[in-house]
Amino acid sequence: MIGVVSYLVFFLILSLTFGVAVLGLNLQWGFTGLFNAGVAGFIAIGAYTMAILTGPSRDAVFGGFELPFVVGLAGAMIASGIGALFVGLATLKLRHEYLAVATFGIAVTIQLVCLNWEYLTGGTLGLIGIPNPTKAWAEGPLIQNSLYLAIVAIVVGLTIAALELIVKSPWGRMLKAIREDEVAAASLGKSPERVRLEAFVLGCMIMGLSGALYVSFIGYVSPWDFLPILTFQIWTMLIVGGSANNRGALLGALIVWGVWTMSGFVLSRVVPSEIQARGGAMQAVLIGLILVVTLLIRPRGLIGEELQVSRHARS
Amino acid sequence: MLRNIGLAALTAAIFGIGTTAHAVDCPVKLGAILPVSGPMGQVGERIAETGLFAVEQFNEAGGVKGCPVEYVLRDTQGQSAVGVDAAKSLVDLDGVQALIGAVSSGVSLPVLTSVVVPSKVVQVSCCSSSESFTALAEEGKTEGYWFRTYATNRSQSAMGAKLVIDSGFERTAVIYVNTDFGVGLANRFEQDIAKLGGSITSMVAYNESQQSYRAEVTKALEGNPDSLFLVAFPVDGSTITREWLALGGTDNLIVNNSLRSDDYFAAVGSQYLQNLQGYDSAQPRLPSVASFNEMFEARFDSPPNGPGLHSVYDAVTVVLLAMEASEEITGDNIRDNIRLVTSPDGVEVHPGPEGIARAKELLAEGQTIRYVGATGALSFDRNGDVQAPKMTWKLDGDVNVETSYLTTAEVAELLGMLDE
Repeated sequence: MIGVVSYLVFFLILSLTFGVAVLGLNLQWGFTGLFNAGVAGFIAIGAYTMAILTGPSRDAVFGGFELPFVVGLAGAMIASGIGALFVGLATLKLRHEYLAVATFGIAVTIQLVCLNWEYLTGGTLGLIGIPNPTKAWAEGPLIQNSLYLAIVAIVVGLTIAALELIVKSPWGRMLKAIREDEVAAASLGKSPERVRLEAFVLGCMIMGLSGALYVSFIGYVSPWDFLPILTFQIWTMLIVGGSANNRGALLGALIVWGVWTMSGFVLSRVVPSEIQARGGAMQAVLIGLILVVTLLIRPRGLIGEELQVSRHARS
Repeated sequence: MLRNIGLAALTAAIFGIGTTAHAVDCPVKLGAILPVSGPMGQVGERIAETGLFAVEQFNEAGGVKGCPVEYVLRDTQGQSAVGVDAAKSLVDLDGVQALIGAVSSGVSLPVLTSVVVPSKVVQVSCCSSSESFTALAEEGKTEGYWFRTYATNRSQSAMGAKLVIDSGFERTAVIYVNTDFGVGLANRFEQDIAKLGGSITSMVAYNESQQSYRAEVTKALEGNPDSLFLVAFPVDGSTITREWLALGGTDNLIVNNSLRSDDYFAAVGSQYLQNLQGYDSAQPRLPSVASFNEMFEARFDSPPNGPGLHSVYDAVTVVLLAMEASEEITGDNIRDNIRLVTSPDGVEVHPGPEGIARAKELLAEGQTIRYVGATGALSFDRNGDVQAPKMTWKLDGDVNVETSYLTTAEVAELLGMLDE
């Protein structure tokens, strides 16, 4: 029984950490309509920033400032935000699929920089020994993980609260106006370029936060954590959960990560090992099947966008 | 009083499950986290099958402590998060006490730090080569739960130092490439040579892809060295060697394995390199390796060519032998007994059902054994690393000839002496 609880805690930490990134993407795609295909890159910036700020010092590698966890989280958000500002200034004139191609290329570039800039990132060796604050607070993996889950839950709660506040504000309505019809929004005297950039930077900062939570939990970061598949996973979570709905985004993270991992568990129980070893693609097929069926049944995601009117309007 | 005992029993019942395993819980589970799909899928599939093959052979010999072994395979998809989750699920939900895998270091290391060490289970990788594992182990952060059956690069500096000393050189200059590889190797060489009684006249780093290395060579010539240890790659290495010889440096050269290359010999000119010596990795030449190859071919109708096949077989077999030697199958016992079944002074046992049956008999008699497997004799150092056999070579005219062969045991002995 304790094993199940222990695993569940572990599962929730990872899925909620992904959930944070999904919330960031939701602000960009769900509310503003920005097709960011470089999610993994911004998660990577946050992750490495966390590792550099809080990790132990090493010869021949920059950083290792051993700063507190909270400073690492803030630093990760700032670094991802600065990265996003540059990327946004360069690419946000592009629309839809063009923006997707450009941001995808940037994510691959970021991953390659992580792989080759050894002085900053440790190159292929990665950075080891990144502290997890809960290790100092308690003994035993289950208690430590439960405490870490509490931290992640608090971060998720704060992020959702802040995002809800933002999207219900006039600025949030402007995001949707731009998403639906940029020309109409511009004709009302709004500046779509500026607002798109703001939403992009804010979303990427949240992705950076997710990366920081991930490395601090795992204790290690390497370029292999940020392959393009990660971007695909975060997108799937958003689409399955329901874009333009923060609760949907979070639910999507839980469901998709659940399908991803439970499919492996079920296969290992049901299918004999000799077949599994040969039929490597089975899990991928199962994952794909479940996701496609979900979208056929709920085309707008599990929880779609809620109809929203100004809170000043009388019903 | 009675209530207290009841409470204690209840607490034990709740917290006992999943944290401790009973002496014999049939079937005995062995977890494997390997990339059977994704970019490493082709490689991972064969490794996974070979792991299963090792389990089958163990079961043919009667399994672990009379129980059949169940091989629980989980796919990492080559992704660290998926691998970490799979490992956690194997440990918490399946109750495995040992994990085989993963293939890439980028997956193995997160698994080690976030699952294996906190949960106190053993992880044995067939294929992860990163130096970060050794660094982590030296900081004490693996707590001994990490092993790999893939040979590391640690022995390079030792081989260089051995060649210098065996040739009777006393004052050695070192020129090395300024990368993590070169810096690490040169620094270890400095320690190793001191231990063996030689001395260093200068340590000079060079940056790659320069037109000339006159400044570096001049600096290295200071102190009148009688030999040069060169850590370089062929293109820059030949520039450095030419300038070294042109400026009057000795032709007593010791070079690292990357310079065992015809490009290098041709660029410098073989006639100037007749006092050159080097080292390289070698294939083990043992009956146990040949017999593994035969059994593999009989089972799969193809020879075991491909990365990780020999090493995963040994990873699985060593873990299962360590389980057999344990009174209770727990991570701690497996960790300790891996040393017992690969003990240098133990009775030698070989792979295959007969070999395993023999090993089990010996263990039942309370003897220590030395498993000599598909990769040869495994001897894990304190960081959980193993060594591969090495050879030394020189040039005879234009021909590259082998001058000596060091078995794994000899390499391990050399390193053991240097690391004391």
